[in-house]
Amino acid sequence: MKLKARHIIPTTAIALWAIACFVFFQYFYPYHFFYKEQNQLFLMSADWLQTYFDGAGWLARIAGDFLTQFYYYLYAGATILTLTLTLLCVTLWWTLKRWGLNTWGALVIALIVTTMEAVFHLSYDFPLSGTLSLLGWAVLTLTITLTKTKRKVTLALLAVSSLVLGAWLFGTPKIGKIGMPNWYLERQLSADCEYYFGNWDKVQQIVEQDKERTPEMLFFYYLVQAQRGLLPEKLLLFDRPELGTFYSIGPQTPILTIRNMNELYWALGDMTFTERAAMMTNVFSHNNRNVRMIRRLAECNYVSGDSLAAEKYLRILDKTFAYHQWADNLRTHGKDIYRTKIEMVNQRDTITISDNAHFLMMQLLDTNPKNTVALDYILCSTLLLKDIQGFKRDYDRYCMEHATPRLKTLYQEALCIWLAGTNASQEEWKKYIQRPDVLQKFQQYNEKRGSAAFKGTYWYYFDKIKAPKV
Amino acid sequence: MKRLLNILTLSIILALLVACTPTPKDVLMRDMLPPIYPDYCDVTIPVNIAPLNFLLRADCEAIEVKAGDVILHANGNEAVFDIDDWKDLTTQASGKSIKVTVTALIDGQWTQYMPFFWQVVTDKVDPYLTYRLIEPDYEIWNHVQIQQRCIENFETNAIGHYEQLENRCMNCHTYANQDPQLSMMYVRGPRGGAILNQNGQLSKLDIPGSVYFGFSPSGRYITYSTQKIIPAFHSLASKRLEVYDSESNVFVADMEQHRIIVSPLLSDSLKFETFPTFSPDGKYIYYCVADSVSLPKDIRQLQYSLVRIPFNEQTGTIGSQVDTIFNQRSVCHPRISPDGRFILYTVADYGTFPIWHPEADLQMMNLQTGRIDTLSIVNSQKSDTYHSWSSNSRWFVFASKRDDGLYGKPYFCYVDQNGKAHKPFCLPQEHPTFYDYNLKSFNAPELGKGKVPFDVDDVARAMQQEAKKFK
Repeated sequence: MKLKARHIIPTTAIALWAIACFVFFQYFYPYHFFYKEQNQLFLMSADWLQTYFDGAGWLARIAGDFLTQFYYYLYAGATILTLTLTLLCVTLWWTLKRWGLNTWGALVIALIVTTMEAVFHLSYDFPLSGTLSLLGWAVLTLTITLTKTKRKVTLALLAVSSLVLGAWLFGTPKIGKIGMPNWYLERQLSADCEYYFGNWDKVQQIVEQDKERTPEMLFFYYLVQAQRGLLPEKLLLFDRPELGTFYSIGPQTPILTIRNMNELYWALGDMTFTERAAMMTNVFSHNNRNVRMIRRLAECNYVSGDSLAAEKYLRILDKTFAYHQWADNLRTHGKDIYRTKIEMVNQRDTITISDNAHFLMMQLLDTNPKNTVALDYILCSTLLLKDIQGFKRDYDRYCMEHATPRLKTLYQEALCIWLAGTNASQEEWKKYIQRPDVLQKFQQYNEKRGSAAFKGTYWYYFDKIKAPKV
Repeated sequence: MKRLLNILTLSIILALLVACTPTPKDVLMRDMLPPIYPDYCDVTIPVNIAPLNFLLRADCEAIEVKAGDVILHANGNEAVFDIDDWKDLTTQASGKSIKVTVTALIDGQWTQYMPFFWQVVTDKVDPYLTYRLIEPDYEIWNHVQIQQRCIENFETNAIGHYEQLENRCMNCHTYANQDPQLSMMYVRGPRGGAILNQNGQLSKLDIPGSVYFGFSPSGRYITYSTQKIIPAFHSLASKRLEVYDSESNVFVADMEQHRIIVSPLLSDSLKFETFPTFSPDGKYIYYCVADSVSLPKDIRQLQYSLVRIPFNEQTGTIGSQVDTIFNQRSVCHPRISPDGRFILYTVADYGTFPIWHPEADLQMMNLQTGRIDTLSIVNSQKSDTYHSWSSNSRWFVFASKRDDGLYGKPYFCYVDQNGKAHKPFCLPQEHPTFYDYNLKSFNAPELGKGKVPFDVDDVARAMQQEAKKFK
């Protein structure tokens, strides 16, 4: 009975620990895995693998990066991490028992160490190779303890050679940060990753249902709406809209902001700045490699017609497990997939020293006024700043001059402010305001200016909400 | 006995592997050159170059390469030569050409392509190449290295490494007369400076604002330019980045007396002076100069001419007469061959940063006759620039983006005794797929006669020194 307890209870404890670990990472913390997968590049190529041999711990690093590439798939991240940690726990438990600790002492220590390793993985930059390094050392130590020889010289030689071998194969185990889960980042990554996977309805659902939504989540929410032509409708749905159009990126900018800007430039259709942000993200990623941005570099060069550059990145993706089919698909069906983007590409060459989004969007619209994503972003950005003059200028230039007025409620409301503020003639009112319902509501608003009943209108925003600082 | 058994086992495995590699039969002849990468078809190579390993851009199951007497069979599409076989091959073919025939098994059919030739010349190229490895954006950096590669084999070592140098930016490593005993490189950032190597003794210099530089023949002086560099962006994605100077001037630094020699002709506020280099006899400073224009608006009017001004190495004085040598389009990076016969420079449509100009090409002027060679056999549809001569004036290396328009790679070009340039070849790598997966540009390649007598740790130690100030 006692013997049974000594086996069953520890096994059950480890199994329960593994289930808890899997459930936590899979159902409460899954998006960190996607970030880690995207933030590296692993190629099945002899010369690429050779780069791992430069430093100590090559086996742990190769195995870590190899396994991390599978985080791309649903459930894979939590499964791989749980299996690795469980294996670590079991190995530690056995090793400590071989060292003479009793079952329960060994179990407690093994569970504590493994839990600490699990906590390290709460951090978005802790690599799997860190845990594999520790696992490697644990396996090596266990192997030594299984040796039956009692000769001191043999044991000493074995210990020294194991130390050398361990240092060469596994390096020094990495110590991560002890801390609470980064829920802020997890929420941010949830919108980011679902957007990346093309699950735009889910982005919308996540953001609308989250009461503690972050600015970064809103950024992706608006990115979805803009590409669905619904940005003006949704702009004032939340208190602090986040469009990303007021950012400037540089070496000091956080990598996630640079990557978000890459998504914005791509959605707008500016391939120069898409490529720049992709390059920057790559440069500041783990080992200067980021598979998501390699994919983007292939895409943006394909769209801008630089087939040689696109092929450079497609060849890299050919050697990945998760993206080689994507690369094939781009080669075969790229023209159909990116038809609209190719049509929107900037055809005029101007030069600027600034990455001011307003200027970039003007350049895009000058080339192609039908670029509704850029149009809505430029108009909504000026409206957020309460720059009615700027809005009217852009609206005239890209809508009225092309005889394509964009009769969105938001724009009609903003135009009412401009028309009222400039004492415009009846003719001008007629020219701009083609929605009688808006005009009627504007008259009502003027009777109850600032009333919360008009929350969600641009007039209320203009009167009551603070504009973002630029 | 056990050892014998091991050898036997290994031999059996090797024999099985060889036996598994198919050999050509029922060969179909194709009337085209093989699509090999890098493009090593009909190139001229020095006798001391590392094996020209290549791959066939085809979905092939096996490959056979016959190069002179060497026959290579391999599964897959890669042709990788044994270095000893290669050395024998090039030594025996020195002064002659090697016929190379590629036969590949594609979709179950052996196909033989038209043969090509490697012209092996006895004029050696300087055996060491230094370059900076950096992402092609240049505007930002992370994990920059300056490496030194022995081009007679595949040995590479870092002489500037981000790990030892606090992830700082580093710039070009330049030799004096291709001599590894005298060279200089920059390490940027707080407490950064120019690291001068004199016979392996490193010292840190504070040469204010120095960017591009070159040594005088005696090594006592360097001429350098200072500039305020502005990055700008083209809206046309294919043009990408533009970099220009809002200010630039040329100076001479006396490395013995630690003083700066100034001339109003080289620091005219209405002109941009840049890319200075001494002539091999030390009597002139060649540099590029442009009239200042409103930037970035009038960038296309920014045209640099190639000019020279006398310099006296004995007295350390700059002359008073500027002669224009060439003023068509925009000239960058003049470099004179060590024998003084040729000046090699880049021409682009405008500006001072040819790296992102696809139209940027090399040109070579015969300084005795004034004849200009547009080097059509050397240039490509993408940027070809940043060149450096071998000490025997028979070879130059340059950075070309011909493969993908993004990542610069070193190409070597032979200039024969008649001044004729031959088709260049790319720096060979141990693995032919290296360039396909590499995500760094080989920036500012420089040839040297030998290995530099310092390493990364020496540079890191030199960085701790107090910089010598220049007056």
